[in-house]
Amino acid sequence: MKQLFYYIFLSILLCTAYSCKKDNYDAPNATLNGAVTDAATGQTVQTEIGSGGTRIKLLEISWSATPTPYYIFSMQDGTYNNTKIFASTNKITAEGAFVPMVQTDAAGNTTIDQTQTVTIKGKGTATVNFSVEPFLRIDWIGTPVYNADGTITAQFKITRGTANPAFQLNISDVFLFVSSTRYLGNNDYDNRYSNHVTYDGASGNNIIGQTLTYTTTGGALPTKRDWFLRIGARVAYGLNYYNYTDVKTVTVP
Amino acid sequence: MKKYIYILLFLSVCWAPACKKLDIAPMNIIQDKDVFTTEGGIQSYMARIYSELPIEDFRYSSTMGFNHFWLVNPFSATSGEALSRDQNGDTQETFGYWDDAYHLIREANYFMETLPSFKGSYTTAQINSWLGEARFIRAATYFALAKRYGGVPIVDKVLQYPEQSIAELQIPRSSEEKVYDFIAADLDYAYANIGETNQVGRANRYVAAAFKSRAMLFAGSIAKYNQITLFDGSNNRLCGIPSGRAADYFKASYDAAVLLNGKYSLYRKTWAPGDKEAQFQNYVNLFFDASSSENIFVKEYQYPNSVHGYDAYNVPRQLMGANGYSAEINPTLNFVELFDGFPKNADGTIKTLGADGKYLLYTNTMDLFANVEPRLRATVILPGDVFKNQNIEIRRGIFTGGVSGGISPLLPPGSTSIYPTANIVSSSTGASQVPYTLPDGTTMNPAGLSGVFTADGTGAVSGFAIRKYLVPDKPTSDVLENHSDQTWIEMRYAEVLLNRAEAAFELTTLGQGTGSYLSDASTIIDQLRDRAGADPLALTGGLTDVNVIRRERRKELGFENKTWWDLRRWRIIDKEQNSTIYRTLMPFYAAGAGKYFFDARLDERNSRYTFDTRWYYEQIPQADIAKSQNLIQNPGY
Repeated sequence: MKQLFYYIFLSILLCTAYSCKKDNYDAPNATLNGAVTDAATGQTVQTEIGSGGTRIKLLEISWSATPTPYYIFSMQDGTYNNTKIFASTNKITAEGAFVPMVQTDAAGNTTIDQTQTVTIKGKGTATVNFSVEPFLRIDWIGTPVYNADGTITAQFKITRGTANPAFQLNISDVFLFVSSTRYLGNNDYDNRYSNHVTYDGASGNNIIGQTLTYTTTGGALPTKRDWFLRIGARVAYGLNYYNYTDVKTVTVP
Repeated sequence: MKKYIYILLFLSVCWAPACKKLDIAPMNIIQDKDVFTTEGGIQSYMARIYSELPIEDFRYSSTMGFNHFWLVNPFSATSGEALSRDQNGDTQETFGYWDDAYHLIREANYFMETLPSFKGSYTTAQINSWLGEARFIRAATYFALAKRYGGVPIVDKVLQYPEQSIAELQIPRSSEEKVYDFIAADLDYAYANIGETNQVGRANRYVAAAFKSRAMLFAGSIAKYNQITLFDGSNNRLCGIPSGRAADYFKASYDAAVLLNGKYSLYRKTWAPGDKEAQFQNYVNLFFDASSSENIFVKEYQYPNSVHGYDAYNVPRQLMGANGYSAEINPTLNFVELFDGFPKNADGTIKTLGADGKYLLYTNTMDLFANVEPRLRATVILPGDVFKNQNIEIRRGIFTGGVSGGISPLLPPGSTSIYPTANIVSSSTGASQVPYTLPDGTTMNPAGLSGVFTADGTGAVSGFAIRKYLVPDKPTSDVLENHSDQTWIEMRYAEVLLNRAEAAFELTTLGQGTGSYLSDASTIIDQLRDRAGADPLALTGGLTDVNVIRRERRKELGFENKTWWDLRRWRIIDKEQNSTIYRTLMPFYAAGAGKYFFDARLDERNSRYTFDTRWYYEQIPQADIAKSQNLIQNPGY
């Protein structure tokens, strides 16, 4: 009888041990980072966080010629960093408020392809930068001024970021975004104070190169806090991404 | 020897009973031969596939999907036609219409492939008509997919698994152009084969033609106005149609619409020239008369088997039923301002201020709308208008300030602030009204019986209530969820005429025809305006612009769940809804003057509407992309 128990015990042990084979993959441990920069100025192209902003598109061609894309969203200053990437070979492009890196003609033939093929090694770091032509380049003129009536006035200038006439499209929106957090953009702003100007057709194009002065709307801003400001503008192209300035902070006493 | 013969005989007798065939179809599952050999069987198959048709009716919303019973976030509150307390901005569809579509397409394909093997039971005409109906179902489903996603996989036969390999079944997306051509071919077949008449709720040949005019107009608009491009690796354009095809599609839309000429007509049973009340009543009746000559394709409901809750959710607050729902659809002032017949400023907005900048005063709220277009009254319940023998009382509050020298605007123009509390009394809910004593000693509740309430939003948040499709004689005891059974008119002749006029105008702008299209479009718009009781084109500047036709379409088809799709195909909704706040009209009672004034303002709740440009092509459900690597996602997702 005792012997029988030994046999049973032994067989259970064998059964259990059999499934002890280690079959886990390593967790993703490679890093992919970089920046989307303006080819003319060398500065990063400002964007908004989330799906309305710049994103990096990875096509992993290690195992399939037609993979499902994987996207990395950019930070709002135009840089990106993902520390949990599998070791892989990828075709990488960026999408956002700039001249597309992959262009097709009317028949669907690829005419321009700035895709970079990058092999990312396990535990390694790959840096992939993109040099692009933004649709619009927006520059602050001076710093925003806190007015006596409790509003804030900002001056700025919008210029074309590309000389390619196919992408010098009509300006549709200019927006002074105001928010009490620094992560602001078209997806997150205080709609009581932000100033939004829209243009139809080509009517907005004469503001190119002009000094524009925008003041917050909706009366005096609440006091005793920091307000964050940013200018956004966009042209009517594709998914209508906004181009942005960097974020300015105005401390309201 | 004889013995052996007996044994053999005996054995064969023994075996014979066991010769019964055991390989039979399961007895508890209905077989093709049970369904396809009788007309009743065919009818039940049809009933099932028709019930699954993607119709955006009383039971549809962009977040709930099709055939949903509980609809408190009305579709018209995404398009800017209405405001609702439960829908505070635009949204894309979130239910992912994909799997259900391909189930329905499979059922249509299965019908087409199976019916011919039972053709002995029927006449050729019957067979052809039914096959045509299946093609119609398939085309309508493909149109529902194409208007959402652009190009989709074309499945024109029953797919077999496991006989076919997975790789074979992972069908890639076709180009958007090919999908519309496929829809056109199916509908042409349906038009050629379905009979002249059919049961109510099923397609006859003219239904197929009407759907073709709708689908081809959509395709033409995409070809002309779409700016989004997506190619697959083999140069198929999955999103967008080459602009060179625009004229083809507009022509197809126009020609299909012309096929209905003389077969249907605009409903004018109780219409009388020059009689605004009769024209109003005629337009109300249009949505309830089962014998209407305007109804082309309808979806019927019948209590208690098949029901919806349109009345319960949308009735004005003062006629609320026992479920406690009311006033989910509140037409915006933007919608009301599309119509004529009330004082307007030069920019087309409603005129509420006199030349001195003070509010205009009215004895009754309806005085402002005394000469309004009958179609507007029949679509929207204006403040103070009669519904179910009651005056629908809509009042934002009582103005208690001084009135000598006129009342200045309560807020600066364009303000999004809430109203000041000084000199205004208002009510937070319908149940907590505190009557205010007027100078003459009588009392009045601050808000009307149907709103506007500042807290619970159960009243008319925009200052208007909806009338279209609300049953005018339904007793309040019967205004309950799942108790309504009025018919949904999915396709009426007015839409076909509007399709024809729009296609004709677009053809003119593309240089087609020699003015004949333009005059046809003008005639059609005037027919619709005449029936609606509106001024003819000749008095309003003529047909100079496509916006004249689009505006007519938005007025005529308002709250019929068509406008959001129209704004999409014109590719203008991202401009219209760009951090937009819709306008409302707030009636106030000036206690000192004993009269009403109106304040036109941006929605006090500050609901912002933004249409994300990506939504022009919806996101293909991720789960379906996971099943087939060949499905390429639309841009931006």
